[in-house]
Amino acid sequence: MRFSSSISSLLTSSLLLSTASASSGYHEQLNLRPLPLSNLLASFNFRSNTSLADFESQNFRLFPRSLGQILQYAGTRELHLRFTLGRWDAENWGARPWDGTREGGTGVELWAWLDAETDEEADAKWLTLTNALSGLFCASLNFIDETRTIRPVVSFQAEGDHPNTTLANAKLLHGVLPHEVVCTENLTPFLKLLPCKGKAGIGSLLDGHKLFDASFQSMAIDVRPVCPPGGECLLEVEQTIDMVLDISRSKRPRDNLIPRPIQGHELVCDTSKSYHSDSVCFPVDHLQSQEWTLEQVFGKSIKGACPLTEPGVPPVCVDVPHSRSIFASEGSTEIKSQHSDSRCYKLASEGDFNLVLTQLDASSGDKELVEPEQPLLYADRSFTGYGQEHGGVQAILTNPGDEEVEFVYMESLPWFMRVYLHTLSTRISAASSIPTTSAETSAEIIKEIYYRPALDRERGTQLELLLRIPPKSTVFLTYDFEKSILRYTEYPPDANRGFDVAAAVITTLSPRKMNIRTTSLLLYLPTPDFSMPYNVIIFTSTAIALSFGGLYNILVRQIVGADEGFESPVKSKLKRVLATITRRLAG
Amino acid sequence: MTFRGKAGIYAIAVLLRLVLFFAFPGLPDLLTGRVEISTPVTSFKRLEEGLFLYNHNVWPYDGGVYHQAPLLLPLFSLLPDSTSWPIFTPLLYILIDLLSADALVKIAASGEAGKSRLYTSPRQGKGSTGLVIAAAFLFNPLTIASCVGRTTSVFTNCAILFAIAKAVQGFSFHAMVALSFASYLSMYPVLLLPPLVLLAYDRRAYQKTSVLKFSALNVLVVAGCLSVLLGMSYALTGNSWEFLARTYGIQLTLTDLTPTVGLWWYFFIEMFDSFRSFFLALFWLHLASYVGGLSIRLRNQPLAALAVLLGIFSIFKPYPSISDTSLFLGLFSLYTHLLPLMRYTYVASATLMYASFLGPAFYHLWIYAGSGNANFFYAITLVWSLGQSLLVSDLTFAVLRDEWEVERPEMVGKEAKQI
Repeated sequence: MRFSSSISSLLTSSLLLSTASASSGYHEQLNLRPLPLSNLLASFNFRSNTSLADFESQNFRLFPRSLGQILQYAGTRELHLRFTLGRWDAENWGARPWDGTREGGTGVELWAWLDAETDEEADAKWLTLTNALSGLFCASLNFIDETRTIRPVVSFQAEGDHPNTTLANAKLLHGVLPHEVVCTENLTPFLKLLPCKGKAGIGSLLDGHKLFDASFQSMAIDVRPVCPPGGECLLEVEQTIDMVLDISRSKRPRDNLIPRPIQGHELVCDTSKSYHSDSVCFPVDHLQSQEWTLEQVFGKSIKGACPLTEPGVPPVCVDVPHSRSIFASEGSTEIKSQHSDSRCYKLASEGDFNLVLTQLDASSGDKELVEPEQPLLYADRSFTGYGQEHGGVQAILTNPGDEEVEFVYMESLPWFMRVYLHTLSTRISAASSIPTTSAETSAEIIKEIYYRPALDRERGTQLELLLRIPPKSTVFLTYDFEKSILRYTEYPPDANRGFDVAAAVITTLSPRKMNIRTTSLLLYLPTPDFSMPYNVIIFTSTAIALSFGGLYNILVRQIVGADEGFESPVKSKLKRVLATITRRLAG
Repeated sequence: MTFRGKAGIYAIAVLLRLVLFFAFPGLPDLLTGRVEISTPVTSFKRLEEGLFLYNHNVWPYDGGVYHQAPLLLPLFSLLPDSTSWPIFTPLLYILIDLLSADALVKIAASGEAGKSRLYTSPRQGKGSTGLVIAAAFLFNPLTIASCVGRTTSVFTNCAILFAIAKAVQGFSFHAMVALSFASYLSMYPVLLLPPLVLLAYDRRAYQKTSVLKFSALNVLVVAGCLSVLLGMSYALTGNSWEFLARTYGIQLTLTDLTPTVGLWWYFFIEMFDSFRSFFLALFWLHLASYVGGLSIRLRNQPLAALAVLLGIFSIFKPYPSISDTSLFLGLFSLYTHLLPLMRYTYVASATLMYASFLGPAFYHLWIYAGSGNANFFYAITLVWSLGQSLLVSDLTFAVLRDEWEVERPEMVGKEAKQI
């Protein structure tokens, strides 16, 4: 099996080598970076391109044809699609990979520039695009309707090199599905877009069991035109997967997945604790470096290099201090970077590739991993208040650095969250001093507001704020909202789970460009009783009938004295029967 | 009625409201958030949001929060900023309450409730004085709660009372203008037009014109006044009719299903989608159907027809609140001389008390405690509506029985039945 596949890949590679020009190539790279608390960040990056002229004449080369045809059909200039699960723990893991630009909010996020003269045309193309992508990626992207679509004004800028005329005629639409659960059925079509289909090269490491077991994972697809200076313009598709694996969790053997408590005698205790004794143990699982291999962590090893990659680019890189020793499989070459704590490996075209990171001797005092970089901004968002009537949103934005940070805070909220923008307020607190509140500072923090209010059942709220945070301070951004009650058919089957509210997107403008997304939120709405539509219809109708009937009777009937008028036949009959009975009883 | 007494009542009412506004700073916002007081079409918080958007060049009618009349926006923009001058909004609301009470005093002073052009009640003069009626309105907890909760329905209520007061004074033009304002603010008062025209006709000192001509003239006044108001709104909202769908459309289609004390919200939450439009039409038809019948049957007493209609509206309109009930109770107090003729006063008042105490409790159980579900609050709104409808139909019965006793004076104090 392996033999035949490598033969076929060799064949395709030789074929392609003869036809592919130098500009349309394929590039893939895996970056491994151990993170604190025995986590491992694996960043996969696959990039393939085709010249725009070839693309227009339907000559796709390494560009995935299925995606390319959708883009052509829907008039898409630039496309960004994200599938994300989990939360990036910025406090421990530091800055995000790719500066957060290859990351989405929890669930599915999609934004694209579409060729359209009018908004209606853009909507029609957007509908085509979301439905086609929904089929391609087995995701519920077709549920991105107008209530989940917004048109961001300042948050997103086109990444590609567009001529000014096309960008002027292109409309940006952004949709998000926070409730979507990303899973294996989304990974399979993702891998199919790769030239080596995940059969060889670093893509062969990707396995649904490990990817969706990660503490954080984000799959991204970016399509954009790139014009290298002096060269022909290319259409580039970039596929990125970032995952943070818990090493000890991943090392669990496949046949014994159930976690079991560690036996007492196997526990490693932190002997430096003052309370440490024979009976009290502070486990040091996460504090101590572990030995791991690629195969243990990913469940399989790399099946040789992908033959379509540009030669000369080492596909696997590891960011660990040079002092930690790493063993690689035979046939691979190690290239150590002189400037940074990074080393890369060139793979042999045949045979499996595996890496072994040794356990660091605790006594040596060497660093186990590269210190994570401090992010530009920490962002945290949560709901305030209680009950299912009113609520508030509080975003805590902290600037840990020494530079002032300017950024755009964007929210795309569902329509059933009625936002009261007049309650939007900011409070700033410097890291060291007590919180200070004043209207002047709040005016300085929010520089601009772009707001498009929600319309019931038609569109959601779009809120973009241009904010500025002074160095070493925290800004609390709060606003109130009301939870509306829906028609009983509008609730999902699990109505009491709540509704997902999409992540806020933060785009920093200065000192450098990067993205942060908060976690998504779970909004509880008041629920009616789903079991009794008939009862309610009957009760209310009865109440109305009672009052209408009562009033109608009073209005149309004639008033007479109690002893006047005709006696009702029932009453007279009853009276007669009673009289008979009393007569009989009396004898 | 002495001036001193009236001034005293008003002063105490103002003082009480000021104390509630300023001694309990959290109270106005708490009451504004209550579903019993604020409905989607009258909520002060939504008005504030609309104002904020209006003042920041975002059209409030391009959003789903603000559903109130466009002319309220410049009116409230004229008030000094509420954060730096928090006194003006309460003062405006207190003033509106006093104007309403004053209108009620004028209605009571005219004696219309006891003696109209076509009818003189045998109990004429046994009713409460204007002073008592004003006090009953001003110290009604429902009125106070609506005032402190700053719901905009107090403007509608004031306009309706003002229209009635002008009509009993014979100023039909003023009455029609006031009714146009009320209809412009809340739409449903336009249904009060037939009995109000009859009332104004009956109270004209000189009777030169025929009823038909007089009605046509007044309908024209209302139509003209409404078109001017709507035209101004059109110009104000940037030459767009969008506000019609947001303000009146929402009352017709009930797209916002926020709970209220009425019957509509839960019915249309649970309604099957295919029957929604049918029942919306039916509910509106039902609401409008009372106007003709009551105007004809109570032709001799148009004021009584108005009172009964307002009672019915406070039960069956799309977004009722306790403020509408307070308006009905205000007019009800004009008919205290009929209390001996009413059969279920105890049951009705006990039901209303029961509902007004259990309503907030059950709402809390549903929304905050989570130990009850929506049916709890729904059941209480049913009880509240039934209690009110009992009171309304009982008042109608008392009015008709009063008329009957003129025909049959020998039946006073005897049992009666309807056949």
